[in-house]
Amino acid sequence: MEKQYRLLYDENLCIGCQACNVACRVENSVPDEVYRLQVHLQTKGEFPNLGMNFERLSCMMCENPPCVSVCPTNASFQSKDGLVHINERACITCKYCILACPYHARFINPIKNVVEKCNFCYETRVSKELLPSCVSICPTDALSFGDMRQKNSLVYQKSHKEVLVFPKAHLGTKPKVAFIPNRKGAKS
Amino acid sequence: MWGSVEQYSTIHWSWAIAIYLFLAGLSAGSIIVALLVKWNRHERSNSSIWDAMIKAGSVVAPVAIFLGLFILVIDLGRPLSFYWLLVRYNVTSVMSLGVLFLLIYTPIVVVFMLLVFERSVIKYPFFAPLESLINLVKSFHSYAKIIEYFLFIAALCVGSYTGFLLSALYAIPLWNSPLLPILFLTSSLSSGVAVNILIGLLFFKSTINAESIKYLLVLDTRVILTELPLLGLFFIGLFYAGGDAPHAAKMALTEGFWAGIFWLGVIGVGLGLPLLTVIIALRSHVYRVGYVVVNSMVVILGVLMLRYYIIYAGQIYLG
Repeated sequence: MEKQYRLLYDENLCIGCQACNVACRVENSVPDEVYRLQVHLQTKGEFPNLGMNFERLSCMMCENPPCVSVCPTNASFQSKDGLVHINERACITCKYCILACPYHARFINPIKNVVEKCNFCYETRVSKELLPSCVSICPTDALSFGDMRQKNSLVYQKSHKEVLVFPKAHLGTKPKVAFIPNRKGAKS
Repeated sequence: MWGSVEQYSTIHWSWAIAIYLFLAGLSAGSIIVALLVKWNRHERSNSSIWDAMIKAGSVVAPVAIFLGLFILVIDLGRPLSFYWLLVRYNVTSVMSLGVLFLLIYTPIVVVFMLLVFERSVIKYPFFAPLESLINLVKSFHSYAKIIEYFLFIAALCVGSYTGFLLSALYAIPLWNSPLLPILFLTSSLSSGVAVNILIGLLFFKSTINAESIKYLLVLDTRVILTELPLLGLFFIGLFYAGGDAPHAAKMALTEGFWAGIFWLGVIGVGLGLPLLTVIIALRSHVYRVGYVVVNSMVVILGVLMLRYYIIYAGQIYLG
Protein backbone atom coordinates (compact mmCIF):
# COMPACT_ATOMS: atom_id res chain seq x y z
CA MET A 1 0.00 0.00 0.00
CA GLU A 2 1.53 3.28 -1.10
CA LYS A 3 -0.60 5.60 0.99
CA GLN A 4 -2.44 5.22 4.23
CA TYR A 5 -5.27 7.69 4.04
CA ARG A 6 -7.37 8.61 7.00
CA LEU A 7 -10.33 10.94 7.37
CA LEU A 8 -10.98 12.21 10.89
CA TYR A 9 -14.38 13.52 11.92
CA ASP A 10 -14.43 15.40 15.18
CA GLU A 11 -17.99 15.25 16.50
CA ASN A 12 -17.13 17.93 19.07
CA LEU A 13 -16.30 20.52 16.43
CA CYS A 14 -19.21 19.69 14.10
CA ILE A 15 -22.10 22.17 14.13
CA GLY A 16 -24.31 20.22 11.71
CA CYS A 17 -24.30 22.93 9.04
CA GLN A 18 -24.33 20.39 6.13
CA ALA A 19 -21.75 22.41 4.19
CA CYS A 20 -19.91 19.11 3.62
CA ASN A 21 -23.09 17.55 2.26
CA VAL A 22 -23.61 20.44 -0.17
CA ALA A 23 -19.97 20.62 -1.23
CA CYS A 24 -20.08 16.88 -1.97
CA ARG A 25 -23.19 17.32 -4.12
CA VAL A 26 -21.60 20.08 -6.13
CA GLU A 27 -18.25 18.34 -6.54
CA ASN A 28 -19.70 14.99 -7.56
CA SER A 29 -23.04 16.01 -9.15
CA VAL A 30 -24.99 13.90 -6.66
CA PRO A 31 -28.74 13.89 -7.49
CA ASP A 32 -31.13 15.42 -4.93
CA GLU A 33 -32.75 12.29 -3.54
CA VAL A 34 -29.53 10.39 -2.74
CA TYR A 35 -26.51 11.01 -0.52
CA ARG A 36 -22.84 10.24 -0.74
CA LEU A 37 -22.43 12.07 2.52
CA GLN A 38 -24.76 13.49 5.11
CA VAL A 39 -24.56 14.44 8.77
CA HIS A 40 -27.41 13.28 10.96
CA LEU A 41 -28.41 15.55 13.84
CA GLN A 42 -30.09 14.22 16.90
CA THR A 43 -31.23 15.99 20.05
CA LYS A 44 -30.94 13.74 23.08
CA GLY A 45 -31.88 13.84 26.70
CA GLU A 46 -34.68 15.68 28.51
CA PHE A 47 -35.01 19.40 29.12
CA PRO A 48 -32.95 21.05 30.54
CA ASN A 49 -30.30 18.34 30.08
CA LEU A 50 -30.31 18.43 26.31
CA GLY A 51 -27.44 17.53 24.09
CA MET A 52 -26.85 17.26 20.39
CA ASN A 53 -25.28 14.38 18.59
CA PHE A 54 -23.83 14.51 15.10
CA GLU A 55 -23.10 11.49 12.99
CA ARG A 56 -21.36 11.42 9.66
CA LEU A 57 -22.79 8.90 7.19
CA SER A 58 -20.65 8.10 4.20
CA CYS A 59 -18.35 5.43 2.83
CA MET A 60 -15.90 4.34 5.52
CA MET A 61 -13.27 3.19 3.00
CA CYS A 62 -12.82 -0.15 4.75
CA GLU A 63 -9.50 -1.93 4.71
CA ASN A 64 -11.53 -5.18 4.47
CA PRO A 65 -14.41 -4.00 2.30
CA PRO A 66 -17.35 -6.43 2.12
CA CYS A 67 -18.58 -4.61 -1.00
CA VAL A 68 -15.42 -5.62 -2.87
CA SER A 69 -15.40 -9.29 -1.93
CA VAL A 70 -19.03 -9.79 -3.01
CA CYS A 71 -18.84 -7.97 -6.34
CA PRO A 72 -19.24 -10.60 -9.09
CA THR A 73 -17.54 -8.53 -11.80
CA ASN A 74 -14.77 -6.84 -9.78
CA ALA A 75 -16.41 -3.53 -10.64
CA SER A 76 -16.11 -2.66 -6.97
CA PHE A 77 -12.38 -2.75 -6.29
CA GLN A 78 -9.67 -1.59 -3.94
CA SER A 79 -6.83 0.50 -5.31
CA LYS A 80 -3.18 0.23 -4.30
CA ASP A 81 -3.77 3.11 -1.90
CA GLY A 82 -6.43 1.04 -0.17
CA LEU A 83 -9.29 3.18 -1.42
CA VAL A 84 -12.47 1.49 -2.64
CA HIS A 85 -13.65 2.60 -6.06
CA ILE A 86 -16.30 1.58 -8.58
CA ASN A 87 -15.55 0.81 -12.20
CA GLU A 88 -18.79 2.10 -13.69
CA ARG A 89 -18.26 0.32 -16.99
CA ALA A 90 -18.19 -3.15 -15.41
CA CYS A 91 -20.97 -2.49 -12.89
CA ILE A 92 -24.12 -4.40 -13.79
CA THR A 93 -26.09 -2.79 -10.92
CA CYS A 94 -26.94 -6.11 -9.30
CA LYS A 95 -27.10 -4.26 -5.94
CA TYR A 96 -25.21 -7.04 -4.11
CA CYS A 97 -22.63 -4.53 -2.81
CA ILE A 98 -25.35 -2.16 -1.58
CA LEU A 99 -26.74 -4.98 0.56
CA ALA A 100 -23.28 -6.05 1.73
CA CYS A 101 -22.31 -2.62 3.07
CA PRO A 102 -22.98 -2.39 6.83
CA TYR A 103 -22.77 1.43 6.62
CA HIS A 104 -25.45 1.84 3.91
CA ALA A 105 -22.96 4.00 2.05
CA ARG A 106 -23.95 2.87 -1.42
CA PHE A 107 -26.88 3.82 -3.58
CA ILE A 108 -28.00 3.77 -7.18
CA ASN A 109 -27.48 7.02 -9.01
CA PRO A 110 -30.94 7.46 -10.55
CA ILE A 111 -29.55 9.36 -13.54
CA LYS A 112 -26.65 7.10 -14.48
CA ASN A 113 -28.34 3.94 -13.13
CA VAL A 114 -25.09 2.78 -11.63
CA VAL A 115 -23.95 2.13 -8.06
CA GLU A 116 -22.20 5.06 -6.47
CA LYS A 117 -20.66 6.16 -3.17
CA CYS A 118 -18.15 8.53 -1.64
CA ASN A 119 -14.68 8.07 -3.13
CA PHE A 120 -12.86 10.70 -1.06
CA CYS A 121 -13.08 12.89 -4.23
CA TYR A 122 -10.13 10.87 -5.49
CA GLU A 123 -10.39 11.58 -9.21
CA THR A 124 -11.08 15.27 -8.99
CA ARG A 125 -9.16 16.31 -5.89
CA VAL A 126 -7.11 13.85 -3.83
CA SER A 127 -5.14 12.55 -6.81
CA LYS A 128 -4.16 16.19 -7.43
CA GLU A 129 -2.92 16.61 -3.86
CA LEU A 130 -6.07 18.54 -2.89
CA LEU A 131 -8.29 17.78 0.10
CA PRO A 132 -11.70 16.11 -0.40
CA SER A 133 -14.33 18.79 -0.92
CA CYS A 134 -16.08 18.08 2.40
CA VAL A 135 -12.81 18.54 4.30
CA SER A 136 -11.78 21.73 2.54
CA ILE A 137 -15.17 23.41 3.05
CA CYS A 138 -15.76 22.51 6.72
CA PRO A 139 -16.01 25.88 8.50
CA THR A 140 -15.07 24.52 11.94
CA ASP A 141 -12.27 22.18 10.84
CA ALA A 142 -14.21 19.22 12.18
CA LEU A 143 -12.83 17.18 9.29
CA SER A 144 -9.20 16.46 8.63
CA PHE A 145 -7.72 14.26 5.95
CA GLY A 146 -4.26 13.05 5.08
CA ASP A 147 -1.68 10.30 4.89
CA MET A 148 -0.98 8.50 8.16
CA ARG A 149 2.56 7.75 6.94
CA GLN A 150 3.49 11.40 7.12
CA LYS A 151 4.25 12.02 10.75
CA ASN A 152 3.90 15.78 10.43
CA SER A 153 0.39 15.61 8.96
CA LEU A 154 -2.56 16.92 10.92
CA VAL A 155 -4.40 13.57 10.84
CA TYR A 156 -1.38 11.77 12.24
CA GLN A 157 -0.96 14.22 15.09
CA LYS A 158 -4.67 14.40 15.89
CA SER A 159 -4.97 10.58 15.74
CA HIS A 160 -2.27 10.25 18.36
CA LYS A 161 -3.73 12.88 20.63
CA GLU A 162 -7.39 11.88 20.65
CA VAL A 163 -9.44 8.82 21.43
CA LEU A 164 -10.67 7.45 18.10
CA VAL A 165 -13.77 5.44 17.37
CA PHE A 166 -14.00 3.35 14.23
CA PRO A 167 -17.66 2.81 13.29
CA LYS A 168 -18.86 -0.79 13.65
CA ALA A 169 -15.29 -1.86 14.32
CA HIS A 170 -16.53 -5.20 15.70
CA LEU A 171 -17.32 -6.25 12.13
CA GLY A 172 -13.64 -6.26 11.26
CA THR A 173 -14.03 -3.93 8.30
CA LYS A 174 -11.20 -1.63 9.48
CA PRO A 175 -12.59 1.73 8.35
CA LYS A 176 -10.29 4.55 7.20
CA VAL A 177 -12.80 7.06 8.54
CA ALA A 178 -12.44 7.61 12.29
CA PHE A 179 -14.61 9.58 14.69
CA ILE A 180 -13.53 11.61 17.67
CA PRO A 181 -16.62 10.92 19.79
CA ASN A 182 -18.83 13.52 21.36
CA ARG A 183 -17.64 14.48 24.84
CA LYS A 184 -20.45 16.91 25.60
CA GLY A 185 -24.19 16.71 26.07
CA ALA A 186 -26.55 13.94 26.96
CA LYS A 187 -25.48 10.45 26.01
CA SER A 188 -28.00 8.25 24.26
CA MET B 1 -33.65 13.78 14.15
CA TRP B 2 -32.52 15.75 11.14
CA GLY B 3 -31.34 13.89 8.06
CA SER B 4 -32.81 11.56 5.47
CA VAL B 5 -32.89 7.85 6.23
CA GLU B 6 -34.75 6.92 3.06
CA GLN B 7 -31.58 5.63 1.46
CA TYR B 8 -31.08 3.19 4.34
CA SER B 9 -34.50 1.54 4.19
CA THR B 10 -34.77 0.84 0.47
CA ILE B 11 -35.62 -2.69 -0.63
CA HIS B 12 -32.86 -3.38 -3.11
CA TRP B 13 -33.65 -7.02 -3.85
CA SER B 14 -37.35 -7.38 -4.48
CA TRP B 15 -39.87 -9.94 -5.79
CA ALA B 16 -37.71 -10.78 -8.81
CA ILE B 17 -34.91 -12.12 -6.62
CA ALA B 18 -37.40 -14.03 -4.45
CA ILE B 19 -38.86 -15.68 -7.54
CA TYR B 20 -35.40 -16.40 -8.92
CA LEU B 21 -34.33 -18.08 -5.67
CA PHE B 22 -37.55 -20.10 -5.81
CA LEU B 23 -37.09 -21.12 -9.48
CA ALA B 24 -33.42 -22.03 -9.05
CA GLY B 25 -34.40 -24.22 -6.09
CA LEU B 26 -37.34 -25.68 -8.00
CA SER B 27 -35.09 -26.56 -10.92
CA ALA B 28 -32.41 -28.16 -8.77
CA GLY B 29 -35.00 -29.93 -6.61
CA SER B 30 -36.90 -31.40 -9.55
CA ILE B 31 -33.78 -32.78 -11.24
CA ILE B 32 -32.53 -34.22 -7.94
CA VAL B 33 -35.91 -35.92 -7.45
CA ALA B 34 -35.88 -37.20 -11.04
CA LEU B 35 -32.43 -38.69 -10.52
CA LEU B 36 -33.47 -40.26 -7.19
CA VAL B 37 -36.43 -41.92 -8.92
CA LYS B 38 -34.20 -43.05 -11.77
CA TRP B 39 -31.67 -44.61 -9.42
CA ASN B 40 -34.02 -46.03 -6.82
CA ARG B 41 -37.21 -46.86 -8.67
CA HIS B 42 -36.03 -47.99 -12.10
CA GLU B 43 -35.38 -51.69 -12.35
CA ARG B 44 -32.33 -52.43 -14.48
CA SER B 45 -30.96 -49.95 -16.95
CA ASN B 46 -34.02 -50.05 -19.13
CA SER B 47 -34.34 -46.47 -20.30
CA SER B 48 -36.84 -47.03 -23.09
CA ILE B 49 -39.84 -46.20 -20.90
CA TRP B 50 -39.22 -43.32 -18.59
CA ASP B 51 -41.12 -42.88 -15.39
CA ALA B 52 -43.41 -39.81 -15.40
CA MET B 53 -41.41 -38.38 -12.48
CA ILE B 54 -38.20 -38.47 -14.54
CA LYS B 55 -39.95 -36.92 -17.53
CA ALA B 56 -41.41 -34.16 -15.37
CA GLY B 57 -38.07 -33.41 -13.72
CA SER B 58 -36.23 -33.34 -17.02
CA VAL B 59 -38.68 -30.71 -18.35
CA VAL B 60 -39.13 -28.63 -15.21
CA ALA B 61 -35.41 -28.29 -14.48
CA PRO B 62 -34.39 -26.50 -17.71
CA VAL B 63 -37.61 -24.49 -18.03
CA ALA B 64 -37.42 -23.24 -14.43
CA ILE B 65 -33.75 -22.33 -14.59
CA PHE B 66 -34.09 -20.46 -17.91
CA LEU B 67 -37.14 -18.58 -16.65
CA GLY B 68 -35.35 -17.77 -13.40
CA LEU B 69 -32.21 -16.54 -15.14
CA PHE B 70 -34.32 -14.42 -17.47
CA ILE B 71 -36.04 -12.73 -14.52
CA LEU B 72 -32.68 -12.32 -12.78
CA VAL B 73 -31.11 -10.54 -15.75
CA ILE B 74 -34.18 -8.35 -16.28
CA ASP B 75 -33.97 -7.28 -12.63
CA LEU B 76 -30.41 -5.97 -13.01
CA GLY B 77 -30.11 -2.20 -13.07
CA ARG B 78 -28.35 -2.59 -16.40
CA PRO B 79 -29.66 -5.82 -17.94
CA LEU B 80 -27.72 -5.42 -21.18
CA SER B 81 -24.39 -5.42 -19.38
CA PHE B 82 -25.04 -8.84 -17.81
CA TYR B 83 -22.30 -10.32 -20.01
CA TRP B 84 -19.69 -8.93 -17.61
CA LEU B 85 -20.78 -11.76 -15.28
CA LEU B 86 -19.44 -14.19 -17.86
CA VAL B 87 -16.24 -12.27 -18.53
CA ARG B 88 -15.01 -11.06 -15.16
CA TYR B 89 -14.99 -13.49 -12.24
CA ASN B 90 -14.41 -12.93 -8.56
CA VAL B 91 -13.88 -16.16 -6.63
CA THR B 92 -14.79 -14.56 -3.31
CA SER B 93 -18.20 -13.55 -4.64
CA VAL B 94 -20.94 -16.15 -4.20
CA MET B 95 -22.76 -14.57 -7.14
CA SER B 96 -19.76 -15.22 -9.34
CA LEU B 97 -19.52 -18.82 -8.09
CA GLY B 98 -23.22 -19.18 -8.85
CA VAL B 99 -22.57 -18.14 -12.44
CA LEU B 100 -19.95 -20.90 -12.67
CA PHE B 101 -22.30 -23.52 -11.19
CA LEU B 102 -25.07 -22.46 -13.59
CA LEU B 103 -22.70 -22.61 -16.56
CA ILE B 104 -22.07 -26.27 -15.72
CA TYR B 105 -25.58 -27.13 -14.58
CA THR B 106 -27.73 -25.56 -17.31
CA PRO B 107 -26.26 -27.34 -20.37
CA ILE B 108 -26.41 -30.70 -18.60
CA VAL B 109 -30.09 -30.37 -17.69
CA VAL B 110 -30.86 -29.43 -21.31
CA VAL B 111 -29.00 -32.50 -22.57
CA PHE B 112 -30.77 -34.63 -19.95
CA MET B 113 -34.11 -33.39 -21.25
CA LEU B 114 -33.13 -34.15 -24.85
CA LEU B 115 -32.15 -37.69 -23.89
CA VAL B 116 -35.39 -38.34 -22.03
CA PHE B 117 -37.48 -36.99 -24.90
CA GLU B 118 -35.27 -38.41 -27.61
CA ARG B 119 -38.17 -40.01 -29.48
CA SER B 120 -40.31 -36.87 -29.51
CA VAL B 121 -37.33 -34.80 -30.59
CA ILE B 122 -36.56 -37.04 -33.52
CA LYS B 123 -40.20 -36.90 -34.69
CA TYR B 124 -40.03 -33.21 -35.61
CA PRO B 125 -37.85 -32.07 -38.51
CA PHE B 126 -37.56 -28.72 -36.75
CA PHE B 127 -35.32 -30.38 -34.15
CA ALA B 128 -33.16 -32.17 -36.72
CA PRO B 129 -29.97 -30.31 -35.76
CA LEU B 130 -30.40 -31.62 -32.22
CA GLU B 131 -30.35 -35.21 -33.39
CA SER B 132 -26.62 -35.24 -33.97
CA LEU B 133 -26.15 -33.73 -30.52
CA ILE B 134 -28.25 -36.50 -28.99
CA ASN B 135 -26.28 -39.12 -30.86
CA LEU B 136 -23.05 -37.53 -29.72
CA VAL B 137 -24.21 -37.59 -26.12
CA LYS B 138 -25.44 -41.16 -26.47
CA SER B 139 -22.02 -42.26 -27.67
CA PHE B 140 -20.86 -41.47 -24.15
CA HIS B 141 -23.52 -43.76 -22.68
CA SER B 142 -20.94 -45.83 -20.85
CA TYR B 143 -20.26 -42.74 -18.73
CA ALA B 144 -23.97 -42.15 -18.12
CA LYS B 145 -23.82 -42.95 -14.43
CA ILE B 146 -20.85 -40.65 -13.86
CA ILE B 147 -22.56 -37.81 -15.73
CA GLU B 148 -25.68 -38.37 -13.65
CA TYR B 149 -23.67 -38.16 -10.42
CA PHE B 150 -22.04 -35.03 -11.77
CA LEU B 151 -25.44 -33.52 -12.56
CA PHE B 152 -26.64 -34.47 -9.07
CA ILE B 153 -23.73 -32.60 -7.49
CA ALA B 154 -24.21 -29.60 -9.80
CA ALA B 155 -27.88 -29.54 -8.77
CA LEU B 156 -26.88 -29.63 -5.09
CA CYS B 157 -24.58 -26.66 -5.76
CA VAL B 158 -27.31 -24.67 -7.55
CA GLY B 159 -29.86 -25.53 -4.86
CA SER B 160 -27.64 -24.38 -2.02
CA TYR B 161 -25.67 -21.50 -3.54
CA THR B 162 -28.79 -19.30 -3.37
CA GLY B 163 -28.57 -19.71 0.40
CA PHE B 164 -24.85 -18.88 0.50
CA LEU B 165 -25.61 -15.86 -1.70
CA LEU B 166 -27.62 -14.37 1.15
CA SER B 167 -25.70 -15.79 4.11
CA ALA B 168 -22.45 -14.19 2.87
CA LEU B 169 -23.72 -10.74 3.86
CA TYR B 170 -22.97 -9.95 7.49
CA ALA B 171 -24.67 -6.56 7.10
CA ILE B 172 -28.05 -8.33 7.11
CA PRO B 173 -28.56 -10.34 10.32
CA LEU B 174 -31.49 -12.48 9.10
CA TRP B 175 -29.46 -13.66 6.11
CA ASN B 176 -26.12 -14.11 7.81
CA SER B 177 -26.91 -17.62 9.07
CA PRO B 178 -24.97 -20.77 8.18
CA LEU B 179 -28.30 -22.65 8.17
CA LEU B 180 -29.72 -20.73 5.23
CA PRO B 181 -28.12 -22.86 2.46
CA ILE B 182 -29.28 -26.14 3.99
CA LEU B 183 -32.73 -24.66 4.67
CA PHE B 184 -33.04 -23.57 1.05
CA LEU B 185 -31.79 -26.92 -0.20
CA THR B 186 -34.29 -28.94 1.82
CA SER B 187 -37.18 -26.70 0.83
CA SER B 188 -36.16 -26.86 -2.82
CA LEU B 189 -36.15 -30.65 -2.56
CA SER B 190 -39.68 -30.41 -1.21
CA SER B 191 -40.77 -28.19 -4.10
CA GLY B 192 -39.04 -30.58 -6.53
CA VAL B 193 -41.15 -33.51 -5.30
CA ALA B 194 -44.31 -31.44 -5.54
CA VAL B 195 -43.70 -30.02 -8.99
CA ASN B 196 -42.69 -33.38 -10.45
CA ILE B 197 -45.85 -35.02 -9.14
CA LEU B 198 -47.96 -32.14 -10.43
CA ILE B 199 -46.42 -32.01 -13.91
CA GLY B 200 -46.36 -35.81 -14.08
CA LEU B 201 -50.08 -36.05 -13.33
CA LEU B 202 -50.91 -33.27 -15.77
CA PHE B 203 -48.83 -34.21 -18.80
CA PHE B 204 -47.36 -37.69 -18.45
CA LYS B 205 -50.28 -39.64 -17.05
CA SER B 206 -49.58 -42.68 -19.21
CA THR B 207 -46.25 -43.37 -17.55
CA ILE B 208 -47.31 -42.58 -13.97
CA ASN B 209 -46.16 -45.20 -11.54
CA ALA B 210 -48.14 -45.11 -8.30
CA GLU B 211 -45.24 -46.72 -6.47
CA SER B 212 -42.88 -43.91 -7.48
CA ILE B 213 -45.36 -41.33 -6.27
CA LYS B 214 -45.70 -43.11 -2.96
CA TYR B 215 -41.92 -43.21 -2.69
CA LEU B 216 -41.78 -39.45 -3.30
CA LEU B 217 -44.60 -38.67 -0.86
CA VAL B 218 -42.73 -40.54 1.86
CA LEU B 219 -39.59 -38.64 0.90
CA ASP B 220 -41.45 -35.32 1.03
CA THR B 221 -42.83 -36.03 4.49
CA ARG B 222 -39.30 -36.68 5.70
CA VAL B 223 -38.04 -33.50 4.05
CA ILE B 224 -40.78 -31.42 5.66
CA LEU B 225 -40.04 -33.00 9.02
CA THR B 226 -36.42 -31.91 8.52
CA GLU B 227 -37.37 -28.43 7.40
CA LEU B 228 -39.44 -27.65 10.50
CA PRO B 229 -36.60 -28.16 13.01
CA LEU B 230 -34.23 -26.38 10.60
CA LEU B 231 -36.46 -23.30 10.70
CA GLY B 232 -36.52 -23.58 14.49
CA LEU B 233 -32.72 -23.82 14.62
CA PHE B 234 -32.46 -20.90 12.21
CA PHE B 235 -34.25 -18.57 14.61
CA ILE B 236 -32.68 -20.02 17.75
CA GLY B 237 -29.30 -19.40 16.13
CA LEU B 238 -30.25 -15.79 15.49
CA PHE B 239 -31.39 -15.33 19.07
CA TYR B 240 -28.04 -16.60 20.35
CA ALA B 241 -25.99 -14.71 17.77
CA GLY B 242 -25.74 -11.38 19.60
CA GLY B 243 -25.38 -7.99 17.96
CA ASP B 244 -28.39 -6.95 15.92
CA ALA B 245 -29.52 -10.51 15.18
CA PRO B 246 -31.77 -11.21 18.22
CA HIS B 247 -33.76 -8.02 17.76
CA ALA B 248 -34.06 -8.54 14.00
CA ALA B 249 -35.27 -12.11 14.56
CA LYS B 250 -37.80 -10.98 17.16
CA MET B 251 -39.19 -8.32 14.82
CA ALA B 252 -39.32 -10.75 11.89
CA LEU B 253 -41.36 -13.20 13.97
CA THR B 254 -43.75 -10.71 15.55
CA GLU B 255 -44.03 -7.48 13.55
CA GLY B 256 -46.39 -6.69 10.73
CA PHE B 257 -47.15 -8.27 7.40
CA TRP B 258 -44.05 -10.44 7.05
CA ALA B 259 -44.49 -12.10 10.44
CA GLY B 260 -47.98 -13.04 9.21
CA ILE B 261 -46.52 -14.47 6.01
CA PHE B 262 -44.12 -16.54 8.10
CA TRP B 263 -46.63 -18.02 10.54
CA LEU B 264 -49.56 -18.43 8.15
CA GLY B 265 -47.77 -18.90 4.84
CA VAL B 266 -44.47 -20.61 5.50
CA ILE B 267 -45.38 -22.60 8.62
CA GLY B 268 -49.17 -22.98 8.19
CA VAL B 269 -49.66 -23.48 4.47
CA GLY B 270 -46.21 -24.65 3.44
CA LEU B 271 -45.41 -27.11 6.21
CA GLY B 272 -48.52 -27.56 8.36
CA LEU B 273 -51.08 -28.37 5.66
CA PRO B 274 -48.94 -31.01 3.91
CA LEU B 275 -48.31 -32.72 7.26
CA LEU B 276 -52.04 -32.56 8.02
CA THR B 277 -52.83 -34.12 4.64
CA VAL B 278 -50.41 -36.92 5.33
CA ILE B 279 -51.97 -37.56 8.74
CA ILE B 280 -55.59 -37.35 7.59
CA ALA B 281 -55.92 -38.23 3.90
CA LEU B 282 -52.77 -39.98 2.84
CA ARG B 283 -52.34 -42.14 5.91
CA SER B 284 -49.83 -44.87 5.19
CA HIS B 285 -49.39 -43.00 1.92
CA VAL B 286 -52.44 -44.29 0.14
CA TYR B 287 -52.42 -42.84 -3.33
CA ARG B 288 -55.36 -40.46 -3.85
CA VAL B 289 -54.98 -38.18 -6.84
CA GLY B 290 -57.11 -35.27 -5.61
CA TYR B 291 -55.27 -34.93 -2.32
CA VAL B 292 -51.90 -35.44 -3.95
CA VAL B 293 -52.52 -32.56 -6.40
CA VAL B 294 -53.73 -30.14 -3.71
CA ASN B 295 -50.89 -31.21 -1.46
CA SER B 296 -48.34 -30.49 -4.20
CA MET B 297 -49.71 -27.02 -4.94
CA VAL B 298 -49.71 -26.14 -1.25
CA VAL B 299 -46.10 -27.26 -0.86
CA ILE B 300 -44.96 -25.17 -3.86
CA LEU B 301 -46.79 -22.12 -2.53
CA GLY B 302 -45.13 -22.56 0.87
CA VAL B 303 -41.64 -22.79 -0.63
CA LEU B 304 -42.27 -19.64 -2.69
CA MET B 305 -43.43 -17.80 0.42
CA LEU B 306 -40.33 -18.87 2.35
CA ARG B 307 -38.14 -17.20 -0.32
CA TYR B 308 -40.29 -14.06 -0.28
CA TYR B 309 -40.22 -13.93 3.50
CA ILE B 310 -36.45 -14.31 3.79
CA ILE B 311 -35.76 -11.76 1.04
CA TYR B 312 -38.10 -9.06 2.37
CA ALA B 313 -37.89 -9.60 6.14
CA GLY B 314 -34.09 -9.69 5.86
CA GLN B 315 -33.96 -6.24 4.30
CA ILE B 316 -36.68 -4.72 6.48
CA TYR B 317 -35.66 -5.98 9.94
CA LEU B 318 -32.06 -5.03 10.35
CA GLY B 319 -32.23 -5.01 14.15
